Amino acid sequence: MKRFAVVFLLFAVALAAAVFSPSSASADEIKMIGVITKIDISGPDATTAAATLKDNKTGDPVTVIVSDELTLDKCKDHRIVVGDEIRLKYEVKDGKNISKYFRKTAGC
Amino acid sequence: MKRYLIVLSLLVVAGTAAQAKEHSGKAYIEKNGYQGPSTCESQGCHPGTAKKFLGTVHWKHASPVTNVENVDPGKEYGMKNRIYTMCNGNDTVNNLKEIPPNPKTGKTKFTGCNTCHPGDHISDVGSTGKEAEAAVDCLLCHSSAYDYRQRKPFKDEKGRVVMGQDRSVKAAMAVGKPGIKNCMVCHEAAGGGVLIKRGFSFTRETDVHAGKGMVCVDCHGAKDHKIPTGFDPNNWANDGVRVACADCHGEKPHADEDTNRHVARIACQTCHIPRTGGALAKDFTKWTQGEDGFFEPTTLRMEANETTPVYAWYGKTVRNEPHFIGPKGSRGDPGSRIYPFKIFEGKAYYDSKTGMLLSMDFAPPMATGDTLAGVASAAKTLGIKEYDPVPGWQTVYFGSSHLVTKGKALSCANCHVPNGALNFKSLGYTDEEIRKLTSAGLYFDKMADKQKENW
Repeated sequence: MKRFAVVFLLFAVALAAAVFSPSSASADEIKMIGVITKIDISGPDATTAAATLKDNKTGDPVTVIVSDELTLDKCKDHRIVVGDEIRLKYEVKDGKNISKYFRKTAGC
Repeated sequence: MKRYLIVLSLLVVAGTAAQAKEHSGKAYIEKNGYQGPSTCESQGCHPGTAKKFLGTVHWKHASPVTNVENVDPGKEYGMKNRIYTMCNGNDTVNNLKEIPPNPKTGKTKFTGCNTCHPGDHISDVGSTGKEAEAAVDCLLCHSSAYDYRQRKPFKDEKGRVVMGQDRSVKAAMAVGKPGIKNCMVCHEAAGGGVLIKRGFSFTRETDVHAGKGMVCVDCHGAKDHKIPTGFDPNNWANDGVRVACADCHGEKPHADEDTNRHVARIACQTCHIPRTGGALAKDFTKWTQGEDGFFEPTTLRMEANETTPVYAWYGKTVRNEPHFIGPKGSRGDPGSRIYPFKIFEGKAYYDSKTGMLLSMDFAPPMATGDTLAGVASAAKTLGIKEYDPVPGWQTVYFGSSHLVTKGKALSCANCHVPNGALNFKSLGYTDEEIRKLTSAGLYFDKMADKQKENW
C-alpha cells in the first residue's frame, strides 16, 4: 500500500510539473480575439509573418507566427492589415506561438 | 471523361499561354500612368467595356429573376433590394455610411452592404453614365498586385463616403485574368465574416478543382463581364448565363455505367460535395456586443466542411415565402434531381400586419444594439409608415456547389444503407422501395469484386 502511495505521489508530481511548468512545450490550442497592432513580414517571398495582436480580454500583446499560405498572402497584399480584429487559435511550440487559425472577424 | 480531359488540357494550355503572353498595354501604362477605365479603353484596347460592365450583376447587384415564386416579373432583384435573413439589410437600407458613435467608446466606423460594389460609392449600385463608367474599379478584379489598403471607405472634402481604389501603376502593371483572391476578397466575406454565408473556401485542400490549379473563372468564365452562375435557390440575380458541372464533365462522367445512371436523377454535387459549412443560424433581433464596444448579429458559425448538407429534389425553381426560401421539385417531376443544400435559419423581425419580413439598417444596432431602431431606419428609407415588428424565423436553402471532392465522394455504401446519407422517405420513396434501395444486395457483387481488385 505504501509503495502504491509513493508511486501515486510521484505520478501526481510529474503530472503537475507537466501541466504547470511555464517552460514546457505545450500543444494545447489557445483561443483569443484581438486587434492586430503590428505585422512583421520580410518581403514578397517570405514564408512566415509575425503578427502581434492585443488580446481584447486582457489587453496583453500576443505575437504569433503565421505560416499558412492563404493568411500569409492576405498579409502580403494587405487584405489583412494593422487594426483588423482577428479570431485566433494558436499553439505554443518550443516557446513560440504558432498560428493555427487566423480569421478576420469582420465581413461586409 | 475523355471530353473532360481534353477540356482540362486545353484549359491548362490556354492558361499557360495567357500567363506567358505579356499584357500589351504595359508599356503605355508605364509611360502614362493609370487613370482607371479610361486607361484600359485607350489605344483601341477594351473599347466600351466600362459601359457594358454597368449592365452586369456585379455593378447592378440585381437582375430580372425568372425562376422564383412570388416576385414581381417587372422588377429586378438582388442584393440591391432583397430582404432575407442571412443579410437582413441590403444595399438600399444598409447603404455604406459612418455609423453613430458607440455610447461606451465614442468610436464610430464605416459599414454597409455595398462595400463590395466595384465602384467608388459616389457612383454606386446600378448607377449609369460617364461618371459611373469612370468609377469602375477594374483592377480590383484584374490585378494580382492590388493594394487592398486602398480599398477602404473614407470621407472626402464634401463629407461624402467614398470607397478608395488602388489606381497605382504597380497594380495596373499586374493586370490579367482574375485569380482566386480577386474573387474571394469579396465573396468569402459575404454575410458578415469570412466563410459565413456560403461556408466554402476554394483552396487546394478543400476543392479538387483548386487542387488542380484551377481558378474561379475557369468555370465561371465570363463574356462581356457576364458571369455564368448555377441555380442556387438563394442566389437570384444572374447575368443570364449559367454554368453546370456537365458543361465540362458531360452527362456520363464515370467509367462505371451503374454510377452514370445516377446522373439522371442525382446531381453531381450530391455525391461529390458531401460536406458544407458557414453560418448555421443568425439572430438579427439580438446583437452581441464585442470587446470593441460595437454590436454584431448573434451568429452560430461553422467551418467549411464542418456540417452535412440536407438533400432535396430541385427542378431549378424556387419556393419563396416569408418564412422559407428553398428548392421546388419532386420525384415525379422529370426535370428535378436530388441536390445537396446548406440549411440556414435566420431570426429577424416580421410585420404582424402583413406577415412580411422587415429589413434592417445595421448602423443603429451596430452602434448601440438597438435592433428596432435599425428596423425603423430601414422602414423610413423604404417609405413604410405603419408596421408592427415581431420576431420570427426563416429557413433558407443555399445551393452547395463548391468543396468538390473526388476521393471523399459518397459511394454506394454511404446512401444505400439503412440510415444512410439520403433520407429516402422524405424524398418520396415508398417503404418497399426504401427496403430495396437500402439493401447491400444492390451493389454487393460489384463492391466485392472491387474490393478484391484493390487488395
